[in-house]
Amino acid sequence: MSLLRPGGVPWLLAHEMRLSFRALTGKRAMGGVGAMIGLAILALVMLSGGVVIGLALRKLDVPVIPLSAAIALACCATAFTLMLSQTLAAASEALYERGDLDLLFSSPIAPRTVLLVRAMGVATGVLTVFLIFVTPLLGPAVILGHPEWLGLFGVLAALALLATATGLTLAMFLFRLIGPRRTRTVAQVLAALTGAAFFLVSQVRTLMGERASESLFQSLAREAAEGRMKIPPIGYWPLKAMLGEPLPLLAMLAIGAASFTLAALSLGKRFADAAAATQGAEASAAKPAKGRDRAFAGGVFAATLAKELRLILRDASLLSQVLLRVLYLVPTAVILSRNAGHGDGGAALAGGAGVVVFLAGQVAGSLAWITLSAEESPDLLAVSPAATRSLRRAKLAAALLPVALLLAVPLGLLLWLAPVTALWTALGAGLSAWACGLINVWHQKPGKRADFKRRRGSSWFATLAEVVVSALLAVTTGLAVAGFAPWATIPLACAGLAMLALRRSDEQIAKVLRLA
Amino acid sequence: MGAASVTEALIVRGLDKTFAKPAVRELDLTVHPGELYALLGPNGAGKTTTLRMVAGLTKPDKGSISIFGIDALADPAAAKAVTAWAPDEAMIYDRLTPLEYLEFVAGLWNVEPRHAKARAGELLETLGLASEARRRCEGFSRGMKQKVALAGALIHDPRLLILDEPLTGLDAASARLVKDMLQARVDAGGTVILTTHILEVAERMADRIGIIAGGRLLAEGTLDALRAHAGKTGAGQGGGDTLEDVFLQLTADGAPA
Repeated sequence: MSLLRPGGVPWLLAHEMRLSFRALTGKRAMGGVGAMIGLAILALVMLSGGVVIGLALRKLDVPVIPLSAAIALACCATAFTLMLSQTLAAASEALYERGDLDLLFSSPIAPRTVLLVRAMGVATGVLTVFLIFVTPLLGPAVILGHPEWLGLFGVLAALALLATATGLTLAMFLFRLIGPRRTRTVAQVLAALTGAAFFLVSQVRTLMGERASESLFQSLAREAAEGRMKIPPIGYWPLKAMLGEPLPLLAMLAIGAASFTLAALSLGKRFADAAAATQGAEASAAKPAKGRDRAFAGGVFAATLAKELRLILRDASLLSQVLLRVLYLVPTAVILSRNAGHGDGGAALAGGAGVVVFLAGQVAGSLAWITLSAEESPDLLAVSPAATRSLRRAKLAAALLPVALLLAVPLGLLLWLAPVTALWTALGAGLSAWACGLINVWHQKPGKRADFKRRRGSSWFATLAEVVVSALLAVTTGLAVAGFAPWATIPLACAGLAMLALRRSDEQIAKVLRLA
Repeated sequence: MGAASVTEALIVRGLDKTFAKPAVRELDLTVHPGELYALLGPNGAGKTTTLRMVAGLTKPDKGSISIFGIDALADPAAAKAVTAWAPDEAMIYDRLTPLEYLEFVAGLWNVEPRHAKARAGELLETLGLASEARRRCEGFSRGMKQKVALAGALIHDPRLLILDEPLTGLDAASARLVKDMLQARVDAGGTVILTTHILEVAERMADRIGIIAGGRLLAEGTLDALRAHAGKTGAGQGGGDTLEDVFLQLTADGAPA
């Protein structure tokens, strides 16, 4: 550190890296070890897959033709979209998460230096996520005969820089357009939708129907084969860069670096002003309610339920994340309604019902974690004479109610089209949501609402248990819908046994919470 | 506990709590009904741990706590029903309005809704928060949040009010308002226990003062009694007779090695 000139970009970058490293290593030992083991297993699985891919592609020479160029462009567009969803969220959060921002801006360090370093952090974070997934899969192919494919990593770096520049510019544009009060919410929703767009595009076959999507792909392939697909020369750059051609690779890196530097340096002052403007912005966001003079809710249950629902409804970040998960239900809902409408596709109906049940459990589990473990004033509840069971019941109800509301319309529609399927799905979804809620009651782990996005605060054991139980109930529902009701009792019994094993007494819960 | 002790607002006997090191050791404390009792001590003396145990937030390793004759360790719900606790960090929800917060707290203490609503209005009016009643707390200053939390502590009209550093973050006018409210409460027969680092507040307001250091109660009584106690242990030999002098003398003598 002493070798670096204080106040300069490398010095500040070293400071940021030290903080990031300590944040990583400062986690609790057990959670850290569990995460490391999980990551190591995942890396091994991916590496094995990578070796298989590497061996299979050993002799392959990728042709520089319109079809492969189009595929490379589509891959770049997908990666860029996913990166942008992350950088946009990170750029807007950087404005609101004060941390040491006040200290930095009150120092003589230039605001653009601060933004440059923050932007470098965002770009590095995004690139790291991609490298974690891409390296084990494509690294072996590079080693086993395609060293030129190292260009792919350069393309990813260029895309990360470009996505960071775009995310920053978009965040600043939103800030200017709609002000500090709404930027955070809109940016979070936009980021979530951008991420979901990738998923929806990947589901084009489901959304368009098998025939329509196949004819689209066939016509694209035919056009390419017959030489009718026209791609301008610049459209070949991503493919050529991925294949290690120096000039296109350097050009892409130069575009990424130039846009990044331009955005970071030109927006530095605006970033400082915007960050200053966000302080207290949420205060003015709190408009007084107009002329409502309703009675107070009476009793522990009603008052707690009202409080929890208000807190859920007023948390834009939480809502956008929940809605994002609901968005993943869209293709499933399309399958369900299409097959139910045609009166065929029993397997698709069963699968669709299973997905709805699984997602109902996941959403309920997330909301239950928010209401139960992410309580903002646990001491207030602890000093009150309210019975813990009443509080838990109200919190559980607050977590399940939004799930019921979200499912009401699609299930109502399904009830009209395929009543039996709708009933099984409603039963399964209700059971799954309730079971995941209960798991969060039994395995509470105090955390902060802000940690919801990645469930960083929740117990990994509870998260795993939720996945297992909701998956078992999804299989149960799928089998029941497919007409194999007797077989459905097997996964149902397994889910029941899992719940019995997961159950904790009040004393056990209290003991764990005391130690937390 | 004898029959006479049933009438005491708070009786603590032989209270012990150890975390990594002993926080409270063999602590005895008695607070009479209708008095304002100030618990003073240097940082890390065990004041907050003591009050958290009384409020039912921390389980003691040893000892007994009686609140208006209720064994707080055997029947915590009954003890909590007559107690309120307001820590130095306000226990409020940023995304709720003060009125919604008070509605929730009243629900926790099972206050009859119509009565709770009327009382919430009164409290917010008294604390100068009526105009902010329907605005979310997220933009409030620390002092405003403290006042909302204090309103929450008073919504169920507790017999025993426990306050940890209640004047932290308050401006002069708000501090005066809170002090007047506490005094009015004591005058009306309520019992208040508070900790403070502002010795003048304790000197002016407290009926009795307890001085704690190293988890032990060093001295307890009126200011005169403390002066006398400090005199016996060497205070006054060249020192003054303000509470600050007495406090510094006692804590210097009684500080753990």
